Amino acid sequence: MTSNPTDEQAGMGSIQTVRGGTAVSIENVSKWYGNFQVLRDVNLHVATGERIVVCGPSGSGKSTLIRCVNQLEKHQRGRIVVNGTELRPGTKGLPAIRREVGMVFQQFNLFPHLNVIDNCTLALVRARKLARNAAEAVAMENLTRVRIPEQAKKFPAQLSGGQQQRVAIARALCMKPKIMLFDEPTSALDPEMIKEVLDVMTRLADEGMTMICVTHEMGFAREVADRVIFMDGGEIVEQANPAEFFSNPVQVRTRQFLSQLLH
Amino acid sequence: MTFLQILLGIYEGFGITAIVTVLGLLYAIPFALLAGILQHFSTGAARWVVTATIEFWRSSPVIVLLYAFYYSLPAFGINLSAISVGAMVLGLNIGGYGSQSVRAALQTLNRGQREAGLALGLSRIEVLRFVELPQAIAAMTPTFINQAIQLIKGTSLVSLLTLTDMTFRAKEIAQLSYNPVGVYSGLLVAYLIICYPVTIFGRRLERSAAKGRGASHEF
Amino acid sequence: MSFDFAFALKIVPRVLEGIGNTLVVAILSFMGASALGFLWEIARRSNRHVRPVMQFVVDAIRSTPVLAQLYFLFYVLPYYGVVLPALVVGVFGLSFYYSGYLSEVFKAGIDLVPRGQGEAAQSLGLSRIHTVIFVIAPQMLRNVAAPLGAYSVSILKATPYLAVLAVPEMLGSAFDVASETYRYAEPMFVAGILFLCLALIAVTLVNWLERYLGVTTPPH
Repeated sequence: MTSNPTDEQAGMGSIQTVRGGTAVSIENVSKWYGNFQVLRDVNLHVATGERIVVCGPSGSGKSTLIRCVNQLEKHQRGRIVVNGTELRPGTKGLPAIRREVGMVFQQFNLFPHLNVIDNCTLALVRARKLARNAAEAVAMENLTRVRIPEQAKKFPAQLSGGQQQRVAIARALCMKPKIMLFDEPTSALDPEMIKEVLDVMTRLADEGMTMICVTHEMGFAREVADRVIFMDGGEIVEQANPAEFFSNPVQVRTRQFLSQLLH
Repeated sequence: MTFLQILLGIYEGFGITAIVTVLGLLYAIPFALLAGILQHFSTGAARWVVTATIEFWRSSPVIVLLYAFYYSLPAFGINLSAISVGAMVLGLNIGGYGSQSVRAALQTLNRGQREAGLALGLSRIEVLRFVELPQAIAAMTPTFINQAIQLIKGTSLVSLLTLTDMTFRAKEIAQLSYNPVGVYSGLLVAYLIICYPVTIFGRRLERSAAKGRGASHEF
Repeated sequence: MSFDFAFALKIVPRVLEGIGNTLVVAILSFMGASALGFLWEIARRSNRHVRPVMQFVVDAIRSTPVLAQLYFLFYVLPYYGVVLPALVVGVFGLSFYYSGYLSEVFKAGIDLVPRGQGEAAQSLGLSRIHTVIFVIAPQMLRNVAAPLGAYSVSILKATPYLAVLAVPEMLGSAFDVASETYRYAEPMFVAGILFLCLALIAVTLVNWLERYLGVTTPPH
């Protein structure tokens, strides 16, 4: 477990903090697409059980940042430690790390060739090697959690956008992740469906899930977040608890962004 | 000879036509999948080798390939039966076309499918096997049916290697009695009876696939 | 009898003698197949009673081997007193066979032309023929250019079928060499290599032409 050389470099003290309270730590992370720098020296530590909302204009690097947390994007400089394991190019056992990190996508990305319950059990059966019965029990439990158990036998194309996104959340929860990442989960939804998805996310937060949510739903941020992060131009411009963030933003760019959102 | 007698006489060659078709599919399907997947994933020199292999099999005229392999292989000390050469050449030719449908189907899959699979902790191979391939194969089934028809029709070429398939039988019957109209329309009808239902089936499948795609955008 | 590379090299010019006929057959057959294919598709659209008939004709053409169709023409036409050079029969045969495929290409190409175009032309008082020629066909050409290019290569690759009708194209020349020398391995091998080169040149040419004309494959 601790054979990772960087743990030794970091010293005993930091290992203790990692195990004790930090779910994700991002240190001096930078990333480029060609010559374009999408992430600039980003630092972010997320405690276990903490709910973070990341917002910012499009192209600010917020999606890229959370996609680095499960290495759908590779960072080029800096350190990312997730559940005590540092993610580096060529990290062995990436699938095992990803199983502990659930992700919900803007476009749902359900598997269209599988019905709802098979979407949920695929990784349990194939990656966790669970028996089908046990996997289906887990799936039904989580479908009930997102209040959609009656749709278990339907195919994604037969569901509304809101229902699809709730299935996607259930699918991620089936892996019993320690951290959940949400990448603009309501941006592709019709307005009347946003609430049902946010309700599920709020309940998840109430249950103590560690969450990093990229979203523009400021109502959700106000109600649920422990900390709101504002990103622009690939860097974290400002972070604060929601009360402070919304009532008393310090940076000019944050104020501009918020005023655009409100109007 | 009545038309029915001619037709029955031609169908005496059905066995060879069927065997070459089935053996051909046994070459075509694995080659199409393997070559298509390898071409999709490989880079650099490996990709060049895969592409060259595919292009060799699908760019050469199949009738010329057939003669070249049938007559040239023995000169290199490789002795294969006419059935083996016919099935291999026809199968790999169709498989070469098939590989392009496999690759295209993999390429057009939404990137989000792969990412969702990876995010769930599946390995790259598992994502390919359980997420990407099932969708790619479903998407390319109509194309594949069309290619299977090409294979069935292509087996008529083995008559040139003196295998007694349906086409060869027609030529034999034509030598017995001078009735070219009866014999050669009989030959066309004989193939039509086999291939036409498959053509119609493929057309149906294509239409329902198009409808399925449409439905997925309706909420 | 082992493979004689020196002999293979020596007969290359002899086999290449057939290339002229190969190219002539390919070009004529492509033109014939395009014309017939377009005709089938226009006939199919002309009238709702003709529609299923033409659909069957096109499906039937595609459901029988080109070899069987060539034999049919080659042996049946003389029976009715129509005696034509084998090359002409071959061009007819290939044109007919590929017309079945090209009619599908034209069908897709016309479907991609917005419906309002035909309606607008007819509401301006253009006849149906004029609507097809001046409004539909020009817009369709862009849509069909890429698949047409692909089929032109397919037709080129089908020209060696004419060797079975004793047309002296490239495969036919290879057979001539073989029957003169009693060696089959080298002429067939040489024919294989030459046809592969020819096909690859054709593919490159078609790709270049498509890029030059700025044509891309239409979305499905």
